Amino acid sequence: MNNPAIRIQNLTKDFSVGIRGVKLRAVDNLCLEVGDNEIFGLLGPNGSGKSTTIKIILGLLEASTGTCEIYGKPSKQVDARRSVGFLPEAPYFYRYLTGRELVRYYARICMVPRAQIGDAVDSVIELVGMTEAADRRVATYSKGMLQRIGLAQSLVHDPQLVMLDEPTAGVDPLGSAAIADIVRELKRRGKTVLLSSHLLAQIEGLCDRVAILHRGKLVREGRVADLVEEKDAESLVVEGLSAEGRAAVQAAIEAQGARLARVEKPRLSLDAYFLKEVHQRESEHAANNDSEGSN
Amino acid sequence: MSLLQHPLTLRLRRILFVLLILSLLGLLTRPLEGPAWRVVKSGQPEMNLEAIEGALGQGLVVGVLGGFRAILADFLWIRTNTIWERRDRVKMDAMVRLVTTLDPRPEFFWINGSRMIAYDVPNWRIREEGGYSEVPEARQRAIDLEQSHQAFDLLDEALEFHPDRAKLYLEKGQIYLNRLKDDANAAKWFLQASKQADAPYYAARIYAELLRKQGKNAEAYTYLKDLHRELPNVPYAQKGIILERIRELENTLEIPFWERFQAVVEPVLEAPRKAPAFDVPEPHDHAGHSH
Amino acid sequence: MSILDSFTRIRLIAGTTFLEAVRQKFFNSLLIISIALVGSSTFFQQFDFGTGELKFITDFGFGALFFFGSILSITATTQLFFYEMENRTALTMLAKPVYKLEFLAGKFLGAHLLMLSFTFVITLVLSAILYWRDTALVARLGDEVILDGPLVRYGDVFLFGFLQWMKFGILAAMTLFVASFSNTNLYTIIVSFFLLIICQLQYIARDAYSGMEAGWERFLVLGLGLIFPNFQLFNIGDQLVFDVDQALPLSTVLQLVGYGVIYTVAFLLLAQVNFRRREI
Repeated sequence: MNNPAIRIQNLTKDFSVGIRGVKLRAVDNLCLEVGDNEIFGLLGPNGSGKSTTIKIILGLLEASTGTCEIYGKPSKQVDARRSVGFLPEAPYFYRYLTGRELVRYYARICMVPRAQIGDAVDSVIELVGMTEAADRRVATYSKGMLQRIGLAQSLVHDPQLVMLDEPTAGVDPLGSAAIADIVRELKRRGKTVLLSSHLLAQIEGLCDRVAILHRGKLVREGRVADLVEEKDAESLVVEGLSAEGRAAVQAAIEAQGARLARVEKPRLSLDAYFLKEVHQRESEHAANNDSEGSN
Repeated sequence: MSLLQHPLTLRLRRILFVLLILSLLGLLTRPLEGPAWRVVKSGQPEMNLEAIEGALGQGLVVGVLGGFRAILADFLWIRTNTIWERRDRVKMDAMVRLVTTLDPRPEFFWINGSRMIAYDVPNWRIREEGGYSEVPEARQRAIDLEQSHQAFDLLDEALEFHPDRAKLYLEKGQIYLNRLKDDANAAKWFLQASKQADAPYYAARIYAELLRKQGKNAEAYTYLKDLHRELPNVPYAQKGIILERIRELENTLEIPFWERFQAVVEPVLEAPRKAPAFDVPEPHDHAGHSH
Repeated sequence: MSILDSFTRIRLIAGTTFLEAVRQKFFNSLLIISIALVGSSTFFQQFDFGTGELKFITDFGFGALFFFGSILSITATTQLFFYEMENRTALTMLAKPVYKLEFLAGKFLGAHLLMLSFTFVITLVLSAILYWRDTALVARLGDEVILDGPLVRYGDVFLFGFLQWMKFGILAAMTLFVASFSNTNLYTIIVSFFLLIICQLQYIARDAYSGMEAGWERFLVLGLGLIFPNFQLFNIGDQLVFDVDQALPLSTVLQLVGYGVIYTVAFLLLAQVNFRRREI
């Protein structure tokens, strides 16, 4: 596809508030492009215009000025949404349906051909790892499971662009990691993913590119590495270095006309540490079970 | 911001737009609504709004107009009955008026209301004044007359709504007969009743009987002979009894044998069909409460 | 996207809306209260009204259907609409290739199906009670009267129910229209009830118009009569059921149905105009 997944040009959205019609600018002259097969993060504090932007992309709100296209089609057109899957923040579904019925229902809404519905439903449920819980009623799901079944319903009509609004809000680190894995898998399958979040740490390792919004304006946009790296600094991670050795290294650095700015212990993020510990316990537990089973 | 773009102007424009569309819709649907409304309206008698408003207050009027007319009348009728039990005649009178104004369609309200007024209230009034033994005959008579005429007023009003219902004429006849002992007037109303399409067979028989009671034997004889000829051969017509009366009158009038009535004997038809579905004698008879 | 696809989506949305609604405690308690009320009309037996009793039972049943039906129609439609808004199921739905009009039509049909089941249950209970009392009365009075068929025309009870249902349709569409521009549940319910009362009384203005002198008052009355649909039109309970001579002509029934359908569709389209602009 030649067209970018999303192209937003000079987008402004004003809400008039109260009877006197005071204007409140939610999005201010936003220009943004999300390329095909990219994981794109829309970041910003609460009230920065992320949700408004997403609603405009989905055609649920009309822009005051400017344009928004999805794969070249104006986002206002219902047709443009055929290639979009969307997971809202903290989704809520008809509680009396089972997970499978729910996904099936949305597949029918999206006009997935009857012959393909069964396979489509099974495959997305498997993708989000809900095969075992698929025949339980949605009312019994945990928050993480709701999020995953929500993801399944957004994928069931095989959209090219998947939009996730705060997909990890209120979900525990394990659930977040699982969602991140699904997002990577989607990219591997050639999909474009746009996700919004204010939990920056969770997104950092996931997104190819991010845009930061503040008060409706685009503050920064670019590759994560480009944005966060200190351009004129490098860090060396060294193991087993003695005090003398460190003095020698420092001397060598200074001999090059550079300066040793700081020395610190490399740290894992708490997320990563937590995941490492849990995964280790899980695999030990599984190994024990296996050996007990074979005895 | 120009005035045209002001949110208030925009809102006003939207409201006007909606009103315009709805008005157009109103005009467009008139060809459907008009004839249907005429039919529906013909089944709903006009209401004396002022009378209802006075008695009910504004709030209930809305309810009444809003489609609860019949049900409200039903409820008020039940209250009328409790008031009747308490023998509060002023209130009862007002309630009967209100119920019949609210829903003039059921004859039931008119008939039972008139029975209460004509039969029960005189008893209460006489008792209030000391009882049948104390109150002079003339006074009793005056009370009876007064109450009966109130009942007649009510029944006359009912006849405006139901000019062809025999029951209402019968009711007037019964009051003349039972309460006022006025055979002449009673006869008049029984005759009227017998002329209605839904009249029971006994109306005509009672009329003839009342003629006899007044000594108008010749008139009664002619009437009964005509009646016997006109009546169908069904068991309910009781032609046998009529023939018996004719024979009695022939004896009293000493009609020569050769001039006597020749009854054509026909087999009695089996399936009787005369009264419409609702011509059911009221088992609820307030006359039974008198004395 | 073909029209057929559109119908499929509307049907699917109506289906879940209906199921969601039937599960609500509000619907079930209202249904039980209405049935209890219709049932309690047998209490009139004590008054020994004779055949008047059947009329009382019918008045009672029709009154309950009208009263609770109106409440249910307004509150259920409002609740179903705002429920989806607040829980953001509407957001999930409308992010799919679904037109907003399809969504509204689905919501409406779901609510209308709910009203159909409500109306049907009430008329069924009413008919059963009438039949029971009818046979009891005929057995008791049978010897004294000559009857020309049954006392009650049962078909008419259902005809009344059907026409009331048509009216509930206008009411539900009107409620959706109010909901489309209002922000809260309560506001929608209150405004819709006011509209119901106005439509119920509209006929006074409509009939007064012809007798008025020219002037702005006459213009106002004309406007009132034109703007609001005439709900009194559907108040045909008095013609039906008992009055043997004056059954409601088929042409009138068809006119009433046409009137109901036109207004329902019109209010849905007006709701759509607002809904299109609304933030989900």
